[in-house]
Amino acid sequence: MIQTVGLSKKYGSKFAVNDVSINVAPGSVYGLVGPNGAGKTTILGILAGLREATSGSFDLGVPASRVAVLPDTPQFEPWLTAREVIQLGKQLTAPDSPLDRIDEVLSDAGLADVAEQRVGGFSRGMLQRLGLAATVVGDPEVLLLDEPSSALDPSGRRDVLDLVGQLRGKATVMFSSHILGDVQEVCDAVGIVQDGRLLYEGSIEGLLVGKAGLTYQVRVRSGTEAVVSGLSGLSWVESAQSPSPGLVRVIVTDPAAAETALVPMLATMDVPVISITPQTADLEDVFLELTT
Amino acid sequence: MNLWKLEWLRMTRSSKGIALVGVFVFFGIIGPLSAAYIGEILEQFGGGIEITFPEPTAADGITQYVGNVQQIGLLVLVMIAAGALTMESRYEMAVFLRTRVRNARQLLAPRFVVVAAFGVVAYAVGLLVAWYETAVLIESPDVGAMAAIFALGATYLIFAVAVVAFAGTHLKKVLPSVMLTLGILLIVPIFGLFPPVAEWLPSHLLGSSNDLLRGGEVADYWRSFVVTVGMTFVLLAASVRGLGRREL
Repeated sequence: MIQTVGLSKKYGSKFAVNDVSINVAPGSVYGLVGPNGAGKTTILGILAGLREATSGSFDLGVPASRVAVLPDTPQFEPWLTAREVIQLGKQLTAPDSPLDRIDEVLSDAGLADVAEQRVGGFSRGMLQRLGLAATVVGDPEVLLLDEPSSALDPSGRRDVLDLVGQLRGKATVMFSSHILGDVQEVCDAVGIVQDGRLLYEGSIEGLLVGKAGLTYQVRVRSGTEAVVSGLSGLSWVESAQSPSPGLVRVIVTDPAAAETALVPMLATMDVPVISITPQTADLEDVFLELTT
Repeated sequence: MNLWKLEWLRMTRSSKGIALVGVFVFFGIIGPLSAAYIGEILEQFGGGIEITFPEPTAADGITQYVGNVQQIGLLVLVMIAAGALTMESRYEMAVFLRTRVRNARQLLAPRFVVVAAFGVVAYAVGLLVAWYETAVLIESPDVGAMAAIFALGATYLIFAVAVVAFAGTHLKKVLPSVMLTLGILLIVPIFGLFPPVAEWLPSHLLGSSNDLLRGGEVADYWRSFVVTVGMTFVLLAASVRGLGRREL
């Protein structure tokens, strides 16, 4: 269980983190989401013991030796081999664990073939995977991952997200990201941060509930204006607008009423309807709604 | 693989150790050679003017070596040490290590000891080369004086690495760490302008080779030796404290 209570960090007169209270369930993957400069790295830095909170408290639920941290762009001494990096990580965190563990994490990270190569020649994706391997080699109970999939190509992102997903149930993972698709894909819960403040915390489903189905996209071959004027003013319609010819976006206040009345209403207008599509909100929509 | 081996590899795989020893050996060769043949060398550039020098002594050969390594050798050692001891110069590596060690001392000790050991070994190897060459070209220096010169010179080099450790744990970049270290090492001798203070300063050790080989007493250096050792420990304690408190 990761818990912070009223966590704040001030640089001069500016709050980098402002009264943030976070609760992360044991064994879950928690996404800390926010734009650049929102305070994500500062929060992780405080939890990692690399920075001191100005006020507030936190509890990681495990000793510091059971916590592992991965910075956003892992770098290692270029003259070390990948195996030596993992060996060092193991020696510092779990010296008594079996040596097989080194080969296991190298294999899981897809680095078995380059284990004896010096990391100075590694791509950023390989370094990110190596960093994650060096982070998990000690079987930590809490992992703090700062933007683990940032700036990776699709293949690299896929690998890292798979590795993070595999940690679910084995460790409590908090990972920061501004890539909402990654968070939506791999996280059980999410905390949205902006300007150092926590705007939302909870499950992704909870965040999206009530958002799905509120907007309909109606495509017509002609008669766009008729649809807009016909739907505007109805009690269950908040607004009906046409962003482009042939397309009407209808925001409804009562989804149940819309499901019953929208199709009959369109039928009365005598316009050729191509499609009626309920537009589901995704994390990006909600994120933008919360942060703008 | 542990933090001690990491530092050993830093010095050996990156050729820093070889470069360091190479510089000291180079001056070990050049020092006595230039002392022995300074007259002939200058005559080559004198345009027929005959220059008479006194017969070179063992003190000239060894002091030439010590003088060179106290300048250029020390500068190379400081730069190499700053690369290892400026902990935050590679932020991501610093995060990796600092979140995996129990305390700052665990992180600092191998870096300081290995770099200082390489400095002392390089100084010793260069001194042995200079000793051999001085004995062959000029005359054999006094063994007791040479032992004292090694001990006092090594003490000063260890002190210099401790200054680097202090700078490297309080600054983020390698170059500022080098500059701060050199600044401290250059400012300390200025206090020696006050005669009562001079023999207490670490910089007093720098002039020991010439004095000892010309009949000076080792006892004249015990004060500066004690102060240098004490300041080394103080600097290391401040480095551990600074590193432990420093936010990344």
